[in-house]
Amino acid sequence: MTGQKWKTLSIRALRLYTLLVTLITVLMIILGNLLDRDRVFSYDAFFSPLIYALIGTVATMITRSDKELSVRSLIIRKVTSLLIVEGAIVFIALNADTIPTDKNWGLPALVLGIFVVFVLTHVIQYFIDRKDAEKLNADLSRYQERQMNGSPIHEYHSQDGPGCN
Amino acid sequence: MKLETRKIPESEPEMVEIRYHWITDEIQEIITFVKSRQGQLSAARDGKRFEVPVVDLFYAESVDDRLFLYTAADSYEIRMKLYELEDLLKNKSFFRVSKSMIVNLMKITSVRPALNGRFSAILKNGEEIIISRKYVPALKQILKGGES
Repeated sequence: MTGQKWKTLSIRALRLYTLLVTLITVLMIILGNLLDRDRVFSYDAFFSPLIYALIGTVATMITRSDKELSVRSLIIRKVTSLLIVEGAIVFIALNADTIPTDKNWGLPALVLGIFVVFVLTHVIQYFIDRKDAEKLNADLSRYQERQMNGSPIHEYHSQDGPGCN
Repeated sequence: MKLETRKIPESEPEMVEIRYHWITDEIQEIITFVKSRQGQLSAARDGKRFEVPVVDLFYAESVDDRLFLYTAADSYEIRMKLYELEDLLKNKSFFRVSKSMIVNLMKITSVRPALNGRFSAILKNGEEIIISRKYVPALKQILKGGES
């Protein structure tokens, strides 16, 4: 793997991790306030979003591929990634006391919450990519202007189209 | 094949002469190279040979070990490998966007996000091609003024 590729991958992973920590924290605040308002936590609870986000990031990274996937393969990988995250977090939740899985709503709310975070992550990622695309378009426009103004490419410009031999 | 080069006075035009018995793959390769240096590529369509101006090319795609050139409305087959063509056109605004495709950056109207970190490029003839994730960092660098 080249240095540039590592750099791109690391930035992408870090960006995803930060995004997940934020979204999971927000989700825990909302769900906690709605469904379990009186619960009191120790400081250890602050680790939860960090750990859950790490699971989400690792699951996304191990199911990614360097190959250009078809839409079908891509969907299969995304669903696999979601199932790994759901499974891992539900397993942790059942064995820890930060999420009240003993209550009726506990597990469904957790599963739904993970799904919402998963979808939101992709929506936000799309908007980040759209911003990148806007920047690419601005750079492309400047590049084309530069080429038009000074490139030898114009020496070859043809008005007549291809000619037959 | 015998190679002969001769220095000539500046008053005479520079030229390349190829003497052949038959147009073999090797000869065709040399012709293609020389024409590409002049801004044209020798390619075939419907059994006829055409000179395709490089500036009219939108993209080139390798399909099942065959290489095709695409202009606004036509497609041609050229007898060379994609990496050879990429090398020939590297200083003419062509850029590798996927394992099997190079595109003329001057023919891109806009870029928009596609699935999974990829981008798609809308070409001036309305066609849409995918820019692989792997090539996006290099594209950004070139558009900012780096080398293609």
